[in-house]
Amino acid sequence: MSANLLEINHMKKGFDGVGVLKDISLAVKEGEVVSIIGPSGSGKSTLLRCATMLETMDDGELIYLDEKAAWSEQNGGENHSVYASRADLKRIHKHFGLVFQNFNLFPHYNVLKNIIDAPMSVDKVSKKEAMERANKLLKQLGLEDKAEAYPYQLSGGQQQRVSIARALALQPKILFFDEPTSALDPELTGEVLRVIKELASDHMTMIIVTHEMQFARELSDRIIFMEQGIIQEQGTPDEIFSSGNARVREFIGKFGK
Amino acid sequence: MKRQAGQTCLVLVYAKEAPDGAQVYNQRLQTINKEAPDNVEDRITMDIGKMLTQLGSGMITSTEIFLLTLLFSLPLGLVVSFGRMSKNSAVRWITKGYISIMRGTPLMLQLMVVYFGPYYIFGMKISAAYRFTAVIIGFVLNYAAYFAEIYRSGIESMPVGQYEACKVLGYSKAQTFAKIILPQVIKRILPPITNEVITLVKDTSLAMVIAVSEMFTTAKAIAAAQTTMVPFIVAAIFYFVFNLVVATAMEYIEKRLSYYR
Ligand SMILES: Nc1ncnc2c1ncn2[C@@H]1O[C@H](COP(=O)(O)OP(=O)(O)OP(=O)(O)O)[C@@H](O)[C@H]1O
Ligand SMILES: [Mg+2]
Repeated sequence: MSANLLEINHMKKGFDGVGVLKDISLAVKEGEVVSIIGPSGSGKSTLLRCATMLETMDDGELIYLDEKAAWSEQNGGENHSVYASRADLKRIHKHFGLVFQNFNLFPHYNVLKNIIDAPMSVDKVSKKEAMERANKLLKQLGLEDKAEAYPYQLSGGQQQRVSIARALALQPKILFFDEPTSALDPELTGEVLRVIKELASDHMTMIIVTHEMQFARELSDRIIFMEQGIIQEQGTPDEIFSSGNARVREFIGKFGK
Repeated sequence: MKRQAGQTCLVLVYAKEAPDGAQVYNQRLQTINKEAPDNVEDRITMDIGKMLTQLGSGMITSTEIFLLTLLFSLPLGLVVSFGRMSKNSAVRWITKGYISIMRGTPLMLQLMVVYFGPYYIFGMKISAAYRFTAVIIGFVLNYAAYFAEIYRSGIESMPVGQYEACKVLGYSKAQTFAKIILPQVIKRILPPITNEVITLVKDTSLAMVIAVSEMFTTAKAIAAAQTTMVPFIVAAIFYFVFNLVVATAMEYIEKRLSYYR
């Protein structure tokens, strides 16, 4: 088995014939933290949505832990992605979690229920086990006293931490974040970034789309700069922040204070 | 359900003559108007107690129509709303047609079609017992259409983020709908549902059109026979109190669901 938890090969995705992702290839190793940066509209969210199968890609290969979720097949002279069977996808789904920009918590469930419901009703984990996981996560994320609260009673930062806990309760191997702090007031971003940093120090494998340059620099093993649907440049934070590529420099100059 | 002797008799005549529906219908209207005066004994001896007993049985019938209609049309409406939002365009268009006919024609007319339809279309003999069933079928079909549109608006108002969160967490489609979407939809659609339910209370009086002795039919018959306003006043109080109960119940449910936003 290769050490790659995730492998994306030649991923292509367009909307109404307009190419948004143009041949993206990317491999992520266990324990790696990868940040994706790039201007608005460059396809970062689309990449995450294709990787998490919220969107079906047009062509390319998607592999989690050596298991193919989708592969490319020739069909009428053109290549198209073919997805694995429902049963296979269901299993593959368990490998990853996704944290949304706007949390998408379930408003009618309290914090605890938001966290334990998926383990119990999707993974058929016992209530006892689910509660243990939830209590541990609540403590880890500094939400012990919020177990009974409903999402509307929480600040944005707290809601985002709950949504991280909800994703972690399913014990994914990879966690994706799509701009986890963009919907937050500046004074609340810190608490969420701190949580993500803690996860990184626990060697959680993460792929994070962010506009927080300083955060990406401190945290990431690798930074990917995307523009116009392609990976323009990737490397260690130091490599990216001292890149000779004019576009990268310009972008970091704009955001990286 | 207790019916007056005179009415039962009429029902039989009615069923026998069913072949000419329109004529029968006219006859029926005439008989309703003159039925009670014919009943000499009733006219002379009916006291308030007896009047209330008869009105009481009308109330029970109205309440039955109300409850049975809700019992069947609320779930049926959900099914219809699924059809209306189906990926299959044939299903979508059929349900759309059904909804627009149900909402675009008077319920009174629909009740008559349901009642007389089996005879005209299939040549079936219409039995007296079918009368009440026809009322329920008519009401359920009509109200399901209204409820379907309310469900649909509620379902479509749900943010896609809720579906996406479910999908990423691995919920099945059925789990997503039952656990996450529907409970939130119910909260959202409670106000328009309340409006429909209150309308239903008043609409039960339309059962009169095929001579089911619900509250209003009974009140009208007694009023004509006794030349008194009292039955109408009793009927008004009945509908008003009924709706007060409905409104209070709905308010209670709304409060129960206000634990989140
Ligand atoms: N569902 C969709 N239908 C049509 N076009 C879409 C859809 N989703 C994304 N796009 C288009 O694809 C392009 C890339 O969008 P995407 O959201 O991936 O960008 P992004 O890099 O995440 O930008 P941002 O930093 O603003 O979040 C944009 O031009 C967008 O308009
Ligand atoms: Mg985005």
